[in-house]
Amino acid sequence: MQGPMAQRIARVFGKSWVVITVSIAVLTLLPADGWALPLFARQTGQNCLACHAGGQFPELTPYGRKFKLTGYTMGERATVPLAVMGVASSAKVASTAGSSDIEADFPHNGRFEFTTASVLCCGKITDNIGTFIQWTWDRFDHLNDQGSWVSKSHADQIDLRYADRFIDKNQDLIVGLSLNNNPGVADVWNTHNSAFTPVPTYVPVSNPSGNAGGPFVDVPAMPIIQSLGQASAGATAYAFWNNTIYGEFGLYKAADKAFSAFGEVPAGEIDSFLRLKGLNPYWRLALNHDWGANSAMVGLHGMRAETYSDAEDMSSPTARFTNYGIDGQYQYILDPHVVTAMFSYTHEKQRYADALWNTSNPEYLGAFANSSNTLDYVRAKLTYVYRAKYGAALAYSSIRGSSDSILYSNPAAVPNSRLWAPEVFWNPVQYVRVGVQYFMWNQYLGAKSNYDGNGRNAKDNNTLFLYVWAAY
Amino acid sequence: MKEICFASVAMLALAGCTNLERSRDLANPDINPEVTALQVCSNCHGVDGNSVSPNFPRLAGQQEAYLVAQLEGFRSHHRSDPAGYEYMWGISRSLTDGQIKGLAEYFSRQTAKANIATTEPQMAAGRKIFEQGIPEKETAPCFACHGANAEGMGAFPRLAGQHEDYLVKQLHVFQETEGRPGTPMKQITHLLSHDDMVNVAGFLQAFPASH
Repeated sequence: MQGPMAQRIARVFGKSWVVITVSIAVLTLLPADGWALPLFARQTGQNCLACHAGGQFPELTPYGRKFKLTGYTMGERATVPLAVMGVASSAKVASTAGSSDIEADFPHNGRFEFTTASVLCCGKITDNIGTFIQWTWDRFDHLNDQGSWVSKSHADQIDLRYADRFIDKNQDLIVGLSLNNNPGVADVWNTHNSAFTPVPTYVPVSNPSGNAGGPFVDVPAMPIIQSLGQASAGATAYAFWNNTIYGEFGLYKAADKAFSAFGEVPAGEIDSFLRLKGLNPYWRLALNHDWGANSAMVGLHGMRAETYSDAEDMSSPTARFTNYGIDGQYQYILDPHVVTAMFSYTHEKQRYADALWNTSNPEYLGAFANSSNTLDYVRAKLTYVYRAKYGAALAYSSIRGSSDSILYSNPAAVPNSRLWAPEVFWNPVQYVRVGVQYFMWNQYLGAKSNYDGNGRNAKDNNTLFLYVWAAY
Repeated sequence: MKEICFASVAMLALAGCTNLERSRDLANPDINPEVTALQVCSNCHGVDGNSVSPNFPRLAGQQEAYLVAQLEGFRSHHRSDPAGYEYMWGISRSLTDGQIKGLAEYFSRQTAKANIATTEPQMAAGRKIFEQGIPEKETAPCFACHGANAEGMGAFPRLAGQHEDYLVKQLHVFQETEGRPGTPMKQITHLLSHDDMVNVAGFLQAFPASH
């Protein structure tokens, strides 16, 4: 969806406020039930809140987790397995001070625009096979040589499943296989690898040049396990026994050749480090317990990955990543109240090929100052939803890492950043959501103040994010 | 994109495949109701009908005639309380009469387990309503229709061991809405206070085995 078509859409949605306001008004006046809903709701005929805690995303209810684990095969096969969703949003950074060209440094800052749309092809195919395929169009994907924004459509989340369930009064065993494009996307708790925001915070608000890029809606560095979405293709096998023990193991490779439909391997800069070499193991263990209106999970996750320093050169030196982490979730679901608390911690150890860091190596490439580095990534989120209509959330995200003066070009030479993100939202009807998030930085790239050496402070990056999400 | 299309075509080619013994298809009349009970209903109501979450009613030992009437009510949208339309309208929309009967049989023959106890004052207040009703509020004693052991009777549901939260919500549905027509409960509940409902529901949830 590029060229004239993109321009037409851009013209149509340039007046997004009008479109969105009218849409919400119309949708709010329509009856909430009896409507054809996005795919899984059509397939089961159930309300979104049956599977999504409080009717919001991405947190799943115990029932929603079973729906996903059994391969999206519950219900009736849809005649037309297609749904669409779209997001209009605005992101505004607290300060553009110090910028001599605000439009270049902070493009689209504070403009409310239609930014993202997805087509979803999901649902039951056979009694054992189901899919979740999301194809996304980003209106502002990148700048071309003429300095204009270019839109792009691409694979977003893909999860093709085969599942079976052996259940009687003595035992319940769900087993399955998933072919997907993101380590952790097959997980049903969505704790260690999912967006903090219920909608893609895809906004082209970036940072002044010379610093780590924005938008400032999540930490500027993450472990590899959280970074491979749409750059990898993997097959995992999983089992969930007696609603208690969950295990998953899989291997991921670069999304290239036969798997290029799963995503796109980032192009060739020396510091991309996202093109996987060979097969890379991912694993996950979780212990689940439900009692009364409560559900709790504590889990472990990990990955070993090796990536090329140059994504287009399969002989380039590599970096090896070892990730392991702990995560958990607590849920209380008793209409009209829904509470979900999530926590995840991931530790990463990075080791580099000699040529990437050793100055005495004749093929020295100067990618790192150290032979190895570490990252520690913490995230947590508490969400409350009332009557599946009104909600509030508080998210926290923190990254800490070892100092490396080449890897991190900021004065502190560390990625250390800390973010709080409160949010309030409203679902006037179950397939429309309006929300406000505020991303508050109390540390950015290792400092509270003057993190870039040019006087920019962490709190200057605070970002107000408004969005309207709708699906059909 | 080519690969995705190819995969989609391949999957569609498989679409005719069925696995009747372990299917979660709700639109296939050939699927045995017991398979549906295990593969689908158990997710919320428990494999033996003793649901863990109070969001979902316990079905173990429930009256078969009552279960048939409720499933038919969901399927026809005759029963339209939130629990009904949010969860059950879709699930039941393509069930055959035979499958509905089979599901009702399955859950009615399960053994109801004891549910969570409640406080003594709540038990005493709830027991009084169950046994004597509240004459000044025109509320008949529950046992008159639901049985001395709250085990139910035909179209009158079993209440013993049912989740307190579910019972309270349903009593409010009867009192305040037309979501569950065709029962005498509208008249019986019309003067009940919220506290009355909580007391009797708490007593029924913790219904004593030796009552």
